[in-house]
Amino acid sequence: MDILMPQLGETVAEGTVTNWYKQVGDSVRADEALFDVETDKVSTEVPSPVSGVLAEVLVPAGQTVKVGTRLAVVRGANEQAAPAGGAAPSHAPAQAAAGVHAPASQVRSLRLEADVAARSEKRKLSPVVRRLLAQHGLSAAGIQGSGRDGRVMRDDVLAHIGRAGSTQPAAAAAASPSPAPLPAAPAVAQATTDSSMCGAGERVVPLNSIRRRSAAAMARAWQSVPHVLQAIEADYSRIESARRSKGPAWQAREGYELTYLPFLAWATCQALLRYEQLNARIDGDRLIVSRRVHLGIAVDLAHDGLVVPVIRDAQDRTLSALGREIRRLAVGARGNKLTPDDFSQPSYTISNSGVFGTLITAPIVNPPQVAILSTDGVAKRAVVVASDDGDSLAIRPVGVLAQSFDHRAVDGAYSAAFLKELKRLIETRAWSDDLP
Amino acid sequence: MTTLEQARPLSAADDDIGREKRLRMYRMLLELRLCEKRAYDLFLQNLVKGTSHLSLGQEAVAAGFALGMRRDDYTFCTYRGHAHTLARGAAMAGVLGELMGRACGVTAGKGGSMHLTSVEHGAMGSYAIIGAHLPVACGAAWSAQYRGTDQVTVCFFGDGTTNIGAFHEALNFAVVWKLPVVFVCENNLYMEYTPIGTVTAVAHPAADRASAYGLDPVIVDGNDADAVFRVAAKAFERARAGEGPALIEAKTYRHSGHSRADPAKYRPQGELEQWLQRDPVNLYRERLVTLGYPELDLRSIEQDTARRVDEATQSAKASPTPALDLIHKDVWANGGSAWRN
Amino acid sequence: MAELTYRDAVAAGIAQEMERDERVVLLGEDIGAAGGVFKATVGLFERFGPRRVRDTPISEQAIIGAAMGAAMTGLRPIAEIMFSDFFGVCWDMIANEIAKTRYMTNGQVALPLVIRTANGAGSRFGAQHSQSVENWAMAVPGLKVVAPSSPADVKGLIAAAVRDPDPVIVFEHKSLYSVKGEVPDGEALDALGAAKVLRTGKDCTIAALALMVPRAMEAAERLQAEHGIECEVIDVRSLVPLDTRTIMGSVVKTARLFTVEENPRLCGWGAEVASLVAEECFWDLDAPIVRITTPHVPLPAADSLEDATIPSVERIVDTVQRAMG
Repeated sequence: MDILMPQLGETVAEGTVTNWYKQVGDSVRADEALFDVETDKVSTEVPSPVSGVLAEVLVPAGQTVKVGTRLAVVRGANEQAAPAGGAAPSHAPAQAAAGVHAPASQVRSLRLEADVAARSEKRKLSPVVRRLLAQHGLSAAGIQGSGRDGRVMRDDVLAHIGRAGSTQPAAAAAASPSPAPLPAAPAVAQATTDSSMCGAGERVVPLNSIRRRSAAAMARAWQSVPHVLQAIEADYSRIESARRSKGPAWQAREGYELTYLPFLAWATCQALLRYEQLNARIDGDRLIVSRRVHLGIAVDLAHDGLVVPVIRDAQDRTLSALGREIRRLAVGARGNKLTPDDFSQPSYTISNSGVFGTLITAPIVNPPQVAILSTDGVAKRAVVVASDDGDSLAIRPVGVLAQSFDHRAVDGAYSAAFLKELKRLIETRAWSDDLP
Repeated sequence: MTTLEQARPLSAADDDIGREKRLRMYRMLLELRLCEKRAYDLFLQNLVKGTSHLSLGQEAVAAGFALGMRRDDYTFCTYRGHAHTLARGAAMAGVLGELMGRACGVTAGKGGSMHLTSVEHGAMGSYAIIGAHLPVACGAAWSAQYRGTDQVTVCFFGDGTTNIGAFHEALNFAVVWKLPVVFVCENNLYMEYTPIGTVTAVAHPAADRASAYGLDPVIVDGNDADAVFRVAAKAFERARAGEGPALIEAKTYRHSGHSRADPAKYRPQGELEQWLQRDPVNLYRERLVTLGYPELDLRSIEQDTARRVDEATQSAKASPTPALDLIHKDVWANGGSAWRN
Repeated sequence: MAELTYRDAVAAGIAQEMERDERVVLLGEDIGAAGGVFKATVGLFERFGPRRVRDTPISEQAIIGAAMGAAMTGLRPIAEIMFSDFFGVCWDMIANEIAKTRYMTNGQVALPLVIRTANGAGSRFGAQHSQSVENWAMAVPGLKVVAPSSPADVKGLIAAAVRDPDPVIVFEHKSLYSVKGEVPDGEALDALGAAKVLRTGKDCTIAALALMVPRAMEAAERLQAEHGIECEVIDVRSLVPLDTRTIMGSVVKTARLFTVEENPRLCGWGAEVASLVAEECFWDLDAPIVRITTPHVPLPAADSLEDATIPSVERIVDTVQRAMG
């Protein structure tokens, strides 16, 4: 049958063929992409209306023609080659075959059907199937579907994986904060614990629901956010001295250790108030800047996923209050005792790997936030101390503060200025005065 | 058939109320007056947001009843409730702060002008849906009856309320269960913007309905605090003795419009002026003077009250806005708002 | 273990709490000497006397208002609204006053009260005496909402409701009053906010409430026997608080969710459940969530029409089977 230039809009009179997916002689299935058309309004892929062989290309790529122009001929499987001169094939619509314009409405409705068919083809993959395919790097094409109309169901994918002896799902960017609070679903998808998909010497570790969600969000963030990592080294002497002098009383009063984190949280809030474009969210092509710091604290759930409870209005809290709130959130998160209110949207996040003595961590920004800070391990180092009497070596507790930021939101100099301010606060504030 | 409680003839010797109560009454009237005026000033300064319904002109009803109540009695009132809440002892800074949406407000800014509540003072709430609190007052009275305390519940409402169903349900219910509740209709002549007489089948919206529930019709001069006090005392005595509810209609007048948005243009010329002649605060002062209370004492009360209103205003203005986490607090008894696990 | 009807279990639950706590009082229309129009309060008047079991006039606003006033001053009243349809005449009290007062007063006023009501279709009473209105209550912040499906549950949940410090609405189902079931001896005390998995299965999850629960269970039997489909049936029991963990835990396992609701279609409780599951379990779903509801019409009276309107066992079987096919 003849393939005509479709009408891609009420007011569109012509279109440009920009690409042919098939060459003359190739076979093509109904609904399979045949060529691309560009108009002043849209650029779109046009599928073949029938199955058959591409017999002729009448309009090569790059050419602009009027709507209804014959572009090509696809010959059906049981269709004879048209006699030279282009006489109408017996079963094709006479008008179209004769090169006469098909009524626009007819063209459109043909296209509509094709669209619907194409869309529902895609839609037939359920969310869980898409997730499994993505995790295992598979495509649905090779999987036998057992659902209605051959739809590929979850169990089909799992069976396929089992047969193929596929290994574990691709690891997700796990060391980053979870995107959204979720009630820990008690059950893990049954089939993913099925050991039949393991090879010898392998073991299946099912991703729990927290990790699965964070995996999806982190993958999206990694793909969509242009990340830049910047780090600065800070001398923790003053914090260390406050911890030494006030820590025992704190421990006695509060019943737990006074860690570095409350100090860093306080300093981060103050620095964010000065460099507020890091305390912001991307909204289309705008940056919405907040004067209120809702500080997310990434909490590790005993290596079983991460959650990010939030200290609301952290900028208004004292060092002691931050310490207590961080403790409450950490204990609550690990005991699964926090409420949805504790998981509202953070405006900035701190991920603290320092307890493990890490040197530097490049965290993933969790949109719509535009930055995230990693606080890494603090260790005693030999440091050159400059003074009027000349340089000398001193042993000081030193740690790295690493910020990943979204380069769409701010530039390197801005982030660097923030880090410098953070460092200044950490190194110069009289921390002991902040504690009772 | 309607009995009007007349103010008794005045003489220095005639004092069933007594010096101490009279001075307290005057102090209270002044406090309500000045506080309401202040609320209006703050509104003009754009410090009071939302709506507010002032009791200017109606202070004698609030003061007369409150003075006769015991600390553990219950008050239920409407959105025109600033005066009733203050009269039970709620702090002025708490009331003004609430109107201004400040953390020091009696409900920390969560209720607003129309929902002033101070349970510790027996002010069990201001109710903003006409008629709703009459059945609730029945419940509080039932509770007192059941628990065997002799607490009285007083329920204030406007003339417009007498035409809504809950009024009639509550009256019948209270009489059938013989509840210790005193219903007080503050008839200020206008339901909101419409004269009550034009939308009511009877001349006295509350009193003329009393007989339908087997109650005595009682009308009192709502601008005479002493008369209000006396009629209240009688109703309380009956209620505490287990003789059941009362329905009292207090004739009064609001000096301002229905709410802050209302300039009250619908009032006939001269009506306000006529009622201002019978201003309850002035009336009371004149009476005290006639009864021989020293001018100096009255001045001192006036100065002291003005100073306290100023202090309360300053304190409310200095109070911060409420913490935003309040939004999610106190939906439930556990202090939170979670609806899922 | 005793076998009780649902209505006897209601009375037993109330009696247990009145026995335990002198502050618990009961009020409503015809609940005293008459024992209630559904006979769910039989024996209470005789046992606890007219001081604690009080008949009221036909004044729903007064009943609910009085319960509220009593609760805020130290009692723990249980108010009965004869038919849940009558919430329409006292909705101000329920939705504007009771639900909001603790919040509006910044926590000054506590309202430990229970509103019991006969809910649901099946009695051929027509459009104004047959509605399922638990979704109305669910939509108002400040109300807890339960709808028990068995005698044991109704006894335990009434006890939990009475002891809860917040207002709780207990929707008893008219068509369940005569249903018998085992009720454990001794004190019954259930927990609000907890769904129950009544039947486990790997193929799909069916979430149901009240009368729809026994229907979902029967449908699950048939789906297993006739089509080999293994359904997990969850009795949601409590709409507020909502036990999303149990529901989502099941959906993550089966990857499919059906809700069976007696509410008319728009904004029935299942819509909220479906929305939550779609939002939070999206990547675990293997098919669209399907809601089986009463169509969006008032309820007709004739038995043939009413039976064809609210979800039946056949409709559940048919819908699930077609969707799973």
